[in-house]
Amino acid sequence: MLKAIVIDDEQYARDELIALIAEQKEVEIEVIASCNNAIEGLKKVNQLKPDLIFLDIQMPQITGIEMLGMLDPETMPKVIFVTAFDEYALQAFEDNAFDYILKPVEPCRLRKTLQRVKYKMQQDNYQVLTDKPLSLIPCAGFNRYLLLKPSEIEIAYSDQSGVHIISQQADKSVAETSCSLSLKILEEKTELLRCHRQYLINPNMIREIRLLDNSLAEIVTAGGAVAPVSRRYLKMLKDRFQLH
Amino acid sequence: MELIFSLLQQLSVYLVLAYLLSKTPLFMPLTMLSGRLSHRLACYIIFSLFCVLGTYFGLAIENAIANTRAIGAVMGGLLGGPVVGFAVGLTGGIHRYSMGGFTDVACAISTTSEGLLGGLVHLYYMRRGLVERIFNPFLALLVLLVAEVMQMSIILLVAEPYEQALALVKTIALPMIIANSLGAALFMSIIQDRKTIYEKYSASFSSKALTIAERTVGILSSGFNQENTQKVAQIIYEETGVGAVSITDRNKIMAFIGTGADHHLPGTLISSSHTKQAIENGELIFADGYEVAYQCSIKNSCKLGAALIIPLLGSEDQVLGTIKLYEPKQKLFSSMNLSLGEGLAKLLSNQILNSRYLEQQTLLTQAELRLLQAQVNPHFLFNALNTISAVIRQDPDKARQLIQHLSQFFRRNLKHNIESVTLQDELKHIHAYLEIELARFSDRLTVNFSIDETLLTQYVPTFTLQPLVENAIKHGTSTQLENGVIDVSGCLQNNIVILKVVDNAGTYCLGDNEMQQGLGLQIVDKRLKNSFGEQYGLSMSCEQGVTTSAQIKFPFKEELS
Repeated sequence: MLKAIVIDDEQYARDELIALIAEQKEVEIEVIASCNNAIEGLKKVNQLKPDLIFLDIQMPQITGIEMLGMLDPETMPKVIFVTAFDEYALQAFEDNAFDYILKPVEPCRLRKTLQRVKYKMQQDNYQVLTDKPLSLIPCAGFNRYLLLKPSEIEIAYSDQSGVHIISQQADKSVAETSCSLSLKILEEKTELLRCHRQYLINPNMIREIRLLDNSLAEIVTAGGAVAPVSRRYLKMLKDRFQLH
Repeated sequence: MELIFSLLQQLSVYLVLAYLLSKTPLFMPLTMLSGRLSHRLACYIIFSLFCVLGTYFGLAIENAIANTRAIGAVMGGLLGGPVVGFAVGLTGGIHRYSMGGFTDVACAISTTSEGLLGGLVHLYYMRRGLVERIFNPFLALLVLLVAEVMQMSIILLVAEPYEQALALVKTIALPMIIANSLGAALFMSIIQDRKTIYEKYSASFSSKALTIAERTVGILSSGFNQENTQKVAQIIYEETGVGAVSITDRNKIMAFIGTGADHHLPGTLISSSHTKQAIENGELIFADGYEVAYQCSIKNSCKLGAALIIPLLGSEDQVLGTIKLYEPKQKLFSSMNLSLGEGLAKLLSNQILNSRYLEQQTLLTQAELRLLQAQVNPHFLFNALNTISAVIRQDPDKARQLIQHLSQFFRRNLKHNIESVTLQDELKHIHAYLEIELARFSDRLTVNFSIDETLLTQYVPTFTLQPLVENAIKHGTSTQLENGVIDVSGCLQNNIVILKVVDNAGTYCLGDNEMQQGLGLQIVDKRLKNSFGEQYGLSMSCEQGVTTSAQIKFPFKEELS
């Protein structure tokens, strides 16, 4: 039994796809969630760890392909792209033998695709689609979505409850939100630098690097937030800013 | 009596000179009254010469000279105005004074005042706006009559001794009055003839050119092809009366009318080396059959004996083809047709350029409209079908309605050739489109309409409002996570219809100076401007993240009841 999530911004499209998946008998699939945008999708994927996602390309704010870039390649579920018409994306899918289905969905095409997914064991490498830097970082605040520009972020850190982002707001004060992207993705696809196993820092937001005992240090950001610097990363920071 | 004849004899030599001079371009300025400095200077020089000449041709009598000097002075004044008249008179007078005699002072004064008199008459007619009268020989005769009487009086008054002066006047008064008046009248009539010939020539030249221009206008606008050039060649042939007219493009004969049409066949390649040379170098070639040999390159027995080949120049002096005028062997090229030829080439070049421009414009608009219609298609269509297939499962009746709306929308899109529709029809089209989109984005799109009823019968170009609504959804509300709202409104302000499509996304903010729009919107704007004028059309405004507003303005048309 494969666990799947359907991510599409149109209600009827989700309904139709879920119905078609339920109708076919060859591959046993349970749709454990359906989401109406990529931000919601990201959250659910991280939360529910599905085996498979059905991903629409054209969605508000963050497209399906952008969302793919925000997933950790190591825990990436299998992806079936669903699109009505997108010449460029289709070309990319064809060239890289990714799985995709076209809207309106043909039941037999869906069946074939699912069979292929079931027997194809190795992970697809989506790098061709996802190696662009991120332009918006989806975050969830209290009862709202936030889409941060990477340049607005001061510090990103992780603890038991997940990844948190301290960002500068329009009035220069800082606010904290939680983010469904991993530190690793943030480090790879934004300008953020690692300064601690659990901390990333925006180099453009550093105001002060305070050196402490034991070759430790801490960074004070423009907004006044503080991030610890571990021994291992202090050297790299010094190299980067040529502080010798 | 004897004096009259000998004076008239001198006068004829004088007039022959005047006649000869009238054949030269020097004379041209005299035939028109322009008041320009160059014209005045020409008047002064020519008439001063005649004035001096008049003195030399005079007959010495009793220590004085019977002469025709007054003609130069008075004519100078008449044609050049008071300043020129005075100057001519003074020049002639000083010259006469230098020759001495007992009437030298009297003659100098009288010649100067004669010039001035001519000038005053000139001024009188100019002020009255009766310019043509100045060229009347009869007027010249009268003025000279008065001038001579005046001169005699001055001699009597000034010359010393009085007895001698009286005797002189008795002898010369009659001959001089007659000779001078006649001479002036004849001189003026020479000028008048010259003027008439010149005007007739230019009038017939311009009328020919204008007739050709008028008759050929618009013919080439539907393309530079054999059929159209044939018509133009026919017109030029009829109007110029040359032996034959031909129009070629860069490679072949497009049209040939007139002598030799039996073997100069339209559609055949150019064989004449003159024509090839004209095309190659973009230069005019006149093979008059004498200086530059001319022989028809197709048939030796061809009757054509001379050709004028003028290249038709397009943009950047690129040669588009040639126009050729021919005359048969026994006939000479009239100089008028020679110069007319060049003008014709210019005229045709412009017409060809214009036709190409128009052609491209039409093509462009057609292509743009097709593109606009095609732009609608794939993404919208497949999503719509996908939505419908889901709706079929849940609510077959609703699905049936959606299919109706979809077909209505596409049927309307397929009507390529309708230029304008009523606002009501355009709104129907939008409703058909929106039914589909509302089904797709059922949970996050609202559209409100408020259109003034009086506007519903107004005509707008097809695809005016629908692209704006589509744009608001595609680039606006569909990028929002929730609660997209579009307001479509229409109102009348100061007899101007204002239609607005406003969304709450605010995603259409571009750089301040570059009001660059998508192709679809550009076409909407262009079509509105084409229909209603430059001051109307589409304007966009946007507040980032808050709202985008598309506004259309065009004049309200009262309905004819």
